[in-house]
Amino acid sequence: MDILTIAIAKGRLGKKGLELFKDTEYEIIMEEDSRKLVYNNANKKINFIFVKPCDVVTYVEKGVADLGIVGKDTILEDNKDIYEVLDLGFGKCRFVVAGFEDQNLVKKNEVLTIATNYPSYVESVFKDRGQLVEIIKLGGAVELAPLMGLSEVIVDIVETGNTLRDNGLVVLEELDTISARLIVNKASYRFKYSEIKKIEKVLGGV
Amino acid sequence: MQFRNILEELEVTKFKKGIEREMENFFEDMGFSIIEPRVFEDYDDFIRSNSRWDSSKTVKVLGGDSRIYILRPDITTNILSQIFSKWEGEPPLKVYYNSKVYRNESRGKILQNYQMGVESLGDDISKADGEIVEMAMSVMSNLGEPYILEMGSTKYLDGFFREINLNLQDEIEIRNLISKKNSDSLKTKLKSLKLENTILDKILDMQGDMKEVLDMARAYEMNEEMKGALDSLERVKELFIHKDIIGKVKLDLSMVPDLGYYDGIIFKGYCLGVPTKILSGGRYDKWTKKYGVKVAAIGFMIDMDLVTRIRIKGEK
Repeated sequence: MDILTIAIAKGRLGKKGLELFKDTEYEIIMEEDSRKLVYNNANKKINFIFVKPCDVVTYVEKGVADLGIVGKDTILEDNKDIYEVLDLGFGKCRFVVAGFEDQNLVKKNEVLTIATNYPSYVESVFKDRGQLVEIIKLGGAVELAPLMGLSEVIVDIVETGNTLRDNGLVVLEELDTISARLIVNKASYRFKYSEIKKIEKVLGGV
Repeated sequence: MQFRNILEELEVTKFKKGIEREMENFFEDMGFSIIEPRVFEDYDDFIRSNSRWDSSKTVKVLGGDSRIYILRPDITTNILSQIFSKWEGEPPLKVYYNSKVYRNESRGKILQNYQMGVESLGDDISKADGEIVEMAMSVMSNLGEPYILEMGSTKYLDGFFREINLNLQDEIEIRNLISKKNSDSLKTKLKSLKLENTILDKILDMQGDMKEVLDMARAYEMNEEMKGALDSLERVKELFIHKDIIGKVKLDLSMVPDLGYYDGIIFKGYCLGVPTKILSGGRYDKWTKKYGVKVAAIGFMIDMDLVTRIRIKGEK
C-alpha cells in the first residue's frame, strides 16, 4: 500500500487540521515544542510535513506532498493546477476591501491604491472593473497602510473585524469567503485514488 | 534543463534526439507526416481566436511592419490555421510535429518547452478515436515506468447540461466545482438549485474502472449526445480489452478539459512519480468550424521535456 504525504500549514490552521486526524488510523503523536518538520504515522499510512502556509500549495503542485491542508486565501492567490476536494469548514473568514468610511472604490480617471498581502488575487478581482489600480504588496499589518497614507484602501482577510475597527477602518466591500481546504496533486489523485478517497471520508468536510 | 558541463549537455541532447527519432519513426510507421509550425503568429489573430489564452504569457515581437507578432504559444492551433488555408477537408490528413512553444513565465523569463504531437483530421471518427488513443498508450508504455491514462468525454456532461435549463453563471460554477473534484461544495450548490437528485450528484463517483463506470453511467443516459459519448468510450474499451491494456486506463466522466475546444473523447497520461501530465489530447471536431469546414479531428500533445527527464532517470 502506498504511503501518503500530506503538507500542513504551520500555525493555527494546521493545528486545527491535525485535530481532524485524532483517533483515526492516521493519527500522529507530536512531542511538545518540537521543531521537527516531518512526522511519520505509526501505522505507516501517512507522512505529515509542516511548512509555511504559502508553501503548502507549491509542495502539492510539485507532487512532493500528495495532499495539503491550506486556507482558500492562499489557493486564490496562487492559482495553481491542483484539485481542491474538500471544504473543511474551519478557519472561516472573508476577503474584504477596507478603508476609511468615505472612501469611494470607483475613481474615474484616477488610480486607486491598494495595499495587500495578496497581489495576484487583488489583480484578478479588479481586472474586469475598468478601475485603474496600483497594488502595493506588504508582508503584514496591512491595516497600517491607509493610516500612514501609503494606500487608499486595503484588501485583506477579516475574521471578526476587530483589527479594522481598532484602526478606524470599515469594510467597503465583501469579496470571497475563505475556509480551510483539502487539496490534492492531480497525478497523486489518479495513482492513489482509493487512499485519497479514504482520507476524504475521514476528514468529512462540512 | 541547464548544464555546467558541455560533455554532459551533449550526452543528454544526444539521448533526447534518440527519443525523438524513435517517436518520429513510430508516427511515420502509423502513416503520419511531419509538419513544421510557423514560429511567428499575428498577435491580434491569435488573441481573437483563442480568447481563453492568457495574453500576458505570450512572447511578443515587433515586426518591421509595426505589427505585433508572438512566438507560437501553442502548436495545434498554429498548424490548423496553416492546414485549413490549403485544404478542403478531404482526403483525411494525418500529421505530426516536433517543435517548441514559447511562453512568458513569472519573473520575466521566457520558457521554451519541447512538444511533439499528432493530429488526425477528416478520418472516420471511431477508427481515429481508436488509433489515436492506442498511440497515446504506446507513448506512455515506452516511458518504462508505471502509468495511467485518464479518459473521459466532454459530451456526457454537455449532453446533460442541454437537458436542464440552467443559467450560464450557475453552469460555469458547477463545471468549475466538478473540475476541482470539490464534492461537498458541489453538493451544497446542487441543493441550492434543487439539482441534488440528478446525475451531477453522482458525477464525481463516475471515476475508476472503465467497465464499472460505463455501467453506472448508462443508467443516467438521457439523450443521444450522452449515449454517443458512452458508445464511443465503449468502443475504445473493447479495443483496450483486446490489446490487454485495460488495466492502465481509468475512466473519469467528471473530467473537464483545460482547453475549451474539445468535444468528445479527452485523455491525459500520468506517470508514477511525476506531478504533472505527460500527454493530453482529445477530439475537437466543433473547433474546426472556425476554419470554414467542420471535419472530424482528434490529436494529442506530448511534453518532451518531461519524457526526456523520465527516460534519463530510467537509464541510470
